[in-house]
Amino acid sequence: MTENAIHISDLTVRYGRTMAVDHVALSMDRGSVYALVGRNGAGKSSLVRCLLGLQKPDLGSAALFGEDSWSRRPALMQRVGIVTEEADAPPEMSVAAIARFCSRLYAKWDQAGVESRLKTFGVPLKSRFGTLSKGQKKQVSLALALAISPELLVLDDPTLGLDVVARKSLFEEVIGDLADRGTTIFITTHDLAGVETFADRVGMMEHGLLMLDEEVDALKSRFRRIRFAAQPLAVDTAALRPTVMRSWGSGGEAVVSNYDDLAFERIRSASNIGAAEVEAMSLEEIFIAIAGGNDGGNS
Amino acid sequence: MRNALAIAVRELEEKRFVLYAALAFAVLPFLIAVIPGINTRSRLDAIVTTSFILATGFTVGLAFITGTSFIGRDLSDGRMSFYFSRPVSSLSIWFGKLTAGILMIVGCFGFIIGPARLFAGQNWDRVFPATLGEATTYVLPAALGLFLIAHVIGTFARSRSHLIAFDFAAAVICGIAILLMARSLAIGLAFILIKWLGYFLLAALIVGMAGGGAWQLERGRTDRRRNHLALSQFLWGTMAAALLLTAAYVTWVVSVKLTDLGSGIRATASTSGPFAVITGKTRGRADYQSGFLLNTEDGSSTRIDGSAEWGVRYTRDGRSAVVPHMEGAFADVLIYRQGAKKPIDTGLTVAHGDFFVSDDGGRIATLSNQNILSVYDVAQKRSLASVLLPFSGFSQGFFVTPDVLRLYFVAAGGLKIAELDVRAPGVHETGLLASTNSVLFYTDPSAEHVLVRERRADGVTLNDARTGALITTLAHGTNVRTARYLRDGRIAFIDGPGSTAVLHILSPAGVPERDVPLGPARWTMIIGDDGTRGVLSADTGGGHQTLFAINLNRGVIERRESIGVWVPSGRWDIRPPIEPLREVFYSDAKGIQTWNPATGAKKMITGG
Repeated sequence: MTENAIHISDLTVRYGRTMAVDHVALSMDRGSVYALVGRNGAGKSSLVRCLLGLQKPDLGSAALFGEDSWSRRPALMQRVGIVTEEADAPPEMSVAAIARFCSRLYAKWDQAGVESRLKTFGVPLKSRFGTLSKGQKKQVSLALALAISPELLVLDDPTLGLDVVARKSLFEEVIGDLADRGTTIFITTHDLAGVETFADRVGMMEHGLLMLDEEVDALKSRFRRIRFAAQPLAVDTAALRPTVMRSWGSGGEAVVSNYDDLAFERIRSASNIGAAEVEAMSLEEIFIAIAGGNDGGNS
Repeated sequence: MRNALAIAVRELEEKRFVLYAALAFAVLPFLIAVIPGINTRSRLDAIVTTSFILATGFTVGLAFITGTSFIGRDLSDGRMSFYFSRPVSSLSIWFGKLTAGILMIVGCFGFIIGPARLFAGQNWDRVFPATLGEATTYVLPAALGLFLIAHVIGTFARSRSHLIAFDFAAAVICGIAILLMARSLAIGLAFILIKWLGYFLLAALIVGMAGGGAWQLERGRTDRRRNHLALSQFLWGTMAAALLLTAAYVTWVVSVKLTDLGSGIRATASTSGPFAVITGKTRGRADYQSGFLLNTEDGSSTRIDGSAEWGVRYTRDGRSAVVPHMEGAFADVLIYRQGAKKPIDTGLTVAHGDFFVSDDGGRIATLSNQNILSVYDVAQKRSLASVLLPFSGFSQGFFVTPDVLRLYFVAAGGLKIAELDVRAPGVHETGLLASTNSVLFYTDPSAEHVLVRERRADGVTLNDARTGALITTLAHGTNVRTARYLRDGRIAFIDGPGSTAVLHILSPAGVPERDVPLGPARWTMIIGDDGTRGVLSADTGGGHQTLFAINLNRGVIERRESIGVWVPSGRWDIRPPIEPLREVFYSDAKGIQTWNPATGAKKMITGG
């Protein structure tokens, strides 16, 4: 089968008059890593709930491995490992009891793997789930999600509540490792620095709209920060589209979303802008630039 | 199934502390029993009674708490995704949780009451009025019902949705619809049918709640408001469908026609007018009893209460039927006039049967449970007199004139006679019908004289109707069966042994005029007369009754008609009717029929 791991079409979710997800369409190939970013309330979690068949969209559809996730949820969940935004296991249950219960529901279950991961994370099996820290709960959820060797791993803000060390460990040792081994991963996060190294594609949601859906490399190659030594700034907007322009020291700074070396050289030679420095941008910087731009951050 | 079981086990594991609490409650009655002050003989009673009270209280409380939380709390706490992010269906989640809840409720009840039951052994039935089986019959279904109801309430309340206003309205509408249907069936005394329809609606409610739980999780999944919406849709949809089916059936049940009557037929007829009340049951309507007021003059029939046969009164002039229409424990009094399309609502409410009417139906007297006699004018819709009866033991009463009522009270030595004149309110004793037994009496058309028969004494006397003074003895020791006045004031009575019953016709003063041998007849009744002929009903043996039309002037039997059973007419009459007898109603295997004594013509009323 060559169908997409995820295929979302015209997905729309409304809560009363609020449009949480606004006609979103996206696809994701098997074996890739998709990072969906956006501010709180952008619609990421609603999209994930629809994707996992936890919520019926008002319009459109979400499919996993070519099958409708709403109607085929129970069967699809055999192939999907999930780490939800909020830890949802019953607080009275011990970690071991949760693992035991889950093992009865799946056709494939790696109990040794669960125990090994929990040991690595430092989460005692006998602890009651309700007594664990937020980060530990995430780690338990992740260990359970990985116990089925999922074809698709869906992580809804997995770093929420994790300390810096745990976050780094999660991204580099766990998710990075899975990505290297070809596991399809769909992750929503605020931690763009964490996913930058292994995400193949990135989507950005704002007010329910999917503002951006692009290969990470392509995205990073077209965004540049240009710093000018002198004022005034004069950028030919037809050639290079500035997303953000602002003063920087005695000079100025522009973030362009369609950077091209030749175009830049042409502008620099044609305009009298003097010394200029071009810098590549991280995903986080690009996200801030876009989000800031959409908030009217152009200056 | 496997997943549902896994979920049930998990839920039970999580709530095992409840089972521990139940075990503690099981021990408690035994501890109470050893409290100083409870003697040895009372210990068993204390254990059994306490364990049953604790088991009932614990189970009902647990049912409510579990019901409100087993789905609702997971939804409101956002923990339902724990299940939905696993490969388990909504059905498995619902039935797993439902099974756990039911097992916990049943188990806790058993845990608490079990030790006491075992300990009590054979003494259980002695100590406790209900056996364990009977107790569980009520407690456990009630607890399980409460569990489901609490789930619905929990889901609705925890969603914090405005939809709860719709649910409230739907519940009220359902309640009103059920009450209206039950009321319309109760009027037809269809209590068995009400019970079965109640079971049907209860089953629908259980299906609505249990199925709705599965449906809410399938449609709403982790979203509490969508859960609420789905449960509402399923529950009220199920109830609406069940109520529509019930309403359609009830509509069919109550839309019975006179000709549909097939069994349990009872009827009364006016002695001189065109009215008859016929009640009975029909096929497919269980015990629903429908009632009709038939007007034989134009063949029309009007639906009345199924129980109206017992309370209807026909006026002496034959032109009106006064029919009580039950409203709960009391009845509204309606008057159906000959030639009028609609009944007159008198506005009077009476206890069933305790009222009597004047000759033309213009006045009605009612007797309340507090022994207050009131006389109303129907046309003016006002009370003319209202008095507290000074004597107890009211037996009979009738209007002598529109203004004067004569009343009879059971008293020592016989029937006390009194009168009430609405023009000068007050009950005045006028005499006594001396008797050592209860008496049957029948007055002449002017209500001056009365024929008296003591139930256990063989004879008939002629007395003054106002004072009760004996005028003459008409027969004694001749096996008198029945006696009454004819419309022209002459006296008729039947006596003689079973093989030789004889009708005696006497002048108003009691002078014998002629005798008519009737032949073998065990039971006889003088129904009435049309001026020329008198009509009798007699049990002529072999399970058959025979109607006789006897020429009163010539003293010969003009016509005989073998019938099934005579339909009583003039049951409440104690005076001859004003108008002549027209038809006699009787019933046989074919249904209700009428017989014209003048022509012998028969007419089918029901069945056929």
